[in-house]
Amino acid sequence: MRLVALSHRQVDALREVSNIGVGHAATALSQLIGRQVSMRVPKVNIIPFSEVPKIVGGAELLVIGIYFQVLGDVTGDILVVFPEDSARALIGLLVNGKFDKNGEWSETAISSLNEIGNILASSYLNALGTLLGVTLIPSVPSLAYDMAGAILDTVLIEQSRVGDLALLIETEFFETKRSLRGHFFLVPDPASLALILDRIGARRG
Amino acid sequence: MKKISVGIADLRIAQSPNVLISYGLGSCVGVALHDPFEKIGGLAHVMLPTASGIRTGDPLKYADSAIEMIVVRMVDAGCARGALLAKMAGGADMFLCSASDVRPKIGERNVEAVRAKLKELRIPLVAEDVGGNYGRTVELETATGVFTVRSVRLGSKRL
Repeated sequence: MRLVALSHRQVDALREVSNIGVGHAATALSQLIGRQVSMRVPKVNIIPFSEVPKIVGGAELLVIGIYFQVLGDVTGDILVVFPEDSARALIGLLVNGKFDKNGEWSETAISSLNEIGNILASSYLNALGTLLGVTLIPSVPSLAYDMAGAILDTVLIEQSRVGDLALLIETEFFETKRSLRGHFFLVPDPASLALILDRIGARRG
Repeated sequence: MKKISVGIADLRIAQSPNVLISYGLGSCVGVALHDPFEKIGGLAHVMLPTASGIRTGDPLKYADSAIEMIVVRMVDAGCARGALLAKMAGGADMFLCSASDVRPKIGERNVEAVRAKLKELRIPLVAEDVGGNYGRTVELETATGVFTVRSVRLGSKRL
């Protein structure tokens, strides 16, 4: 389905269903780290591929990316992105402030971050699946510590096969005391976008 | 000297002493062509292997059609086709796990498509730094043809 043809109403509907998903994800993360986590109202970005890295602060910014494929009736990608300092702060909260030396990420750090990603992705997909009346599950997580541009291009491939614009449902979440923050992206496969809109009754503008 | 940035699915041509740069390539490939006599360079940042059978959308997304475009633009700018030399970097598989098994490894396919197109056009591929599971930033110096590849773990490499 052509992204440029999405109406305001369809974009609003996508934002609305996503908002419920991120609400659940924020609650789950709050419970895990024992701190209040807030999420902004999601944005539905329909932008050229070259502008995608700007959302997280530029193509060369070093980030942690935790990647999932969405499996089930709707397919797509989920990507959770933490700036480096936020990822370290999160690990600090989870494993009592034990930081890794020399900037290396230990196995404990990586599995903690994967678990955080998993909790965010699962709670989001659970809520979204219930709302759409479909089953959605995340694949096992895969983590990379690298330049934001390199991490983000993975999630753009499917959409790039059918058009010249990316549709990313994105929200920023943050924990106030430590100014810990991150981004959550849902990138539906082009074929699944039509199905999502169908299910929420927003197929025709 | 100007640094000219080449975004995803874009292509730029420049002449000495300017530098063409593409940030944060993952599965994407940076394809650099250089004419050492005219000191003119071209850099494309491609996402997908081939436009054949698709022919919709921006040709600069695809390795094969983007390379054709660089050649046309460089010849227009005064380069001799037979003088062109190619270098490439990128084509990583960023997320190594069972998740990447479900889909074809796009980085690898991009690299193959670049190789095939260059061979077809008889442009020598003189250097490459491809594959792996890490991102790269590439820089082409049009004055010298030096192609610098930077990554987080391995630092900087001159090709």
